[in-house]
Amino acid sequence: MDNILSVKALKQVFSKETAIDNMNFEVKRGEIFGFLGPSGAGKTTTIKILTGQLHPTSGSALLFDVPSTKVNHPKYLKKIGVMTDNSGLYSRLSVYDNLHLYCELYSVENKRKRIDEVLEMVNLIDAKSKVVSKLSKGMLQRVTLARALLHEPELLFLDEPTAALDPANSRHIHHGLQELNRKGTTIFLTTHDMQEAELLCHRVAFLNNGKVQLLDEPSKIRRKYSDDTLTVELVGGEKRTLINGPEGAQKMYEYMLNNQVVTMHSNEPTLGDIFVDVTGRSLL
Amino acid sequence: MSFSLKRVYAIFNKDIKDLFKNMFVLSTVLTPILLAFLFSQSEPIPVGLHYFIINLIFVMTTVYVQGAIIAEEKEKNTLRGLMMSPATTTEIMTGKSGLSALLTIVTLVVCMRITGYEFVNVPAIFLAFFMSFILYLAMGTLLGLLTRTVMEASLVLMPLLFVFGMGTLLLEFIADYPSLAFLEYLPNFQLQFLAEAVDAGQAFTDVTGYLIVIAAWMVLLCILTVVVYRKRAVDGK
Repeated sequence: MDNILSVKALKQVFSKETAIDNMNFEVKRGEIFGFLGPSGAGKTTTIKILTGQLHPTSGSALLFDVPSTKVNHPKYLKKIGVMTDNSGLYSRLSVYDNLHLYCELYSVENKRKRIDEVLEMVNLIDAKSKVVSKLSKGMLQRVTLARALLHEPELLFLDEPTAALDPANSRHIHHGLQELNRKGTTIFLTTHDMQEAELLCHRVAFLNNGKVQLLDEPSKIRRKYSDDTLTVELVGGEKRTLINGPEGAQKMYEYMLNNQVVTMHSNEPTLGDIFVDVTGRSLL
Repeated sequence: MSFSLKRVYAIFNKDIKDLFKNMFVLSTVLTPILLAFLFSQSEPIPVGLHYFIINLIFVMTTVYVQGAIIAEEKEKNTLRGLMMSPATTTEIMTGKSGLSALLTIVTLVVCMRITGYEFVNVPAIFLAFFMSFILYLAMGTLLGLLTRTVMEASLVLMPLLFVFGMGTLLLEFIADYPSLAFLEYLPNFQLQFLAEAVDAGQAFTDVTGYLIVIAAWMVLLCILTVVVYRKRAVDGK
C-alpha cells in the first residue's frame, strides 16, 4: 500500500510552548489509522496542520504527495473530509439546510438521496428537519460527521467522533466507518477510547507530549507487551497462572487430562494499560 | 482559478435564510429608515443631511451587517467549515457580501424615496456610491475577521459609527480645530463634498479628486481584507 499521508520531523511551537515535537509517521492508503493520546497531547494540532489550517513551525507533512501548507486548494479539499469536536453548524438552520449547503459547496449530485444516506449512516434520519439549536451534543456530533461524509472523501479526519455518544450510537457509527473504509476511504482517527481504537484501527500511534511514542498494529502491540502467561480457571473456581513453556504446557496437559479446565485466556494487557506503561500517563 | 456561481448562491441563500431568523441584524437595518422618516419632516433637506443618512446606511447596513455575519461565522466556528470546503476565497467573500449588498441597496432606495433625494451628475455619484460600497464592504469584512463575536463587532462598530456615520457632526468639530483638517480625507466626507460639488453644478472632471481619494480608500481596505483573511485561514483557530 502506498502512503496517503507522510509526516517527517514535524514541530509546532506556540509562544515558546512545544505542542508537537519531531513527529514522524505515515498513513497507508486504505487503512484506519488511530492517533491515540490524552487531552492536550497534540492530536487536534496535528489534524489542523495536516488539513492546512495551521502552518507548522518546522518539518513537513505530505498529503497526496503535496505539502500540507498547499492543501488548502479546492482540488485537494474535495478529497478531504474533516470532523472536529467544534461543531461549526448553522444553529438557526435545520439539519437538512446545513447539509444541503455543503452538498452545493462540494458539488454533490443527487443531494436529497445523499443527505438521506449520510443521515442513515449516523442514525439521525428522523432529525432531518430539526433546527440545529434544538439538538443534543451527541446529535450535533453526528450531524458534523454526516457533513464530513457527504462528498465521499478519500481521506477522512475524525477528531474523537464518538466522544459524546451513547454505546448504541457509537456502535452504529463504528459500523458505518468500517463500511466506509471497506469502500476505500482512508481514516485518520483521533481518540482516547482504547476499545474504539482496538475495534477500528489497523494501526495505532501513541501520542504523548507532542511525540509519537509507539506505532504498530494493536494486536502486535498487545503481544509485544504481553507477559507470556495464561490464566486457567479450574473446576471449583480456582484460577492458575501458567507461564508459556514446557513447564506450563505440562501443567495444562494435566488439567485437561483430568477434565478440570473451565476457561482459559492469554494475559495480554489492554491498549490502555500499555499506553500508561509507555507514556506514564492515563488517557483521560 | 475556478469561480462557481452555484457555490456563491449557496452561501448567499444560506445567509438569506439565516437573516429572517436573526432579529438583531434586521432591527439594525431599520435605524437609518427611521431617521430618514424624521428628517423628511423638515423641508428642504440640504445635501449634507441626505449624505448624513447615506453614510449612516453604509456604516450601519454595509459595515455592520457584513461584520456581524462574519463575526458570527467565526464565533460559531462555521467560517472554518467554509474555508475547509472547495469554495475559494473569492466565492466565499462574494457569497457573504451578497446579503449586505442586497440590504444596502434596499435601504438606500427606501431612504432616498423617503427623503426625496435626486441624483445630479449620475455617472460621478454612481461611481462614488459603487466605490464607497466596496470600501465599506471591505471594512465590514475586516471588522468581522478581527473580532471574535457579534457582541465584540457591535462594540467596535461604535467608534466607526462616530467617525464614518456621524460625519456632519464631526465636520463642525473639524471647523473648530483646524489641526484635524486631515479628517476631511475620510471617504464619507469625500462622498459628501463630491455630492455638494455636483449639486453646485460642477462637472465630472471637477470632482475626480474626490473620486481618487475614495478609490484609494477602497484599494487600501480591499488589500487589508485579503491579507487578514489569508492570515486567518492558516491561524489554526
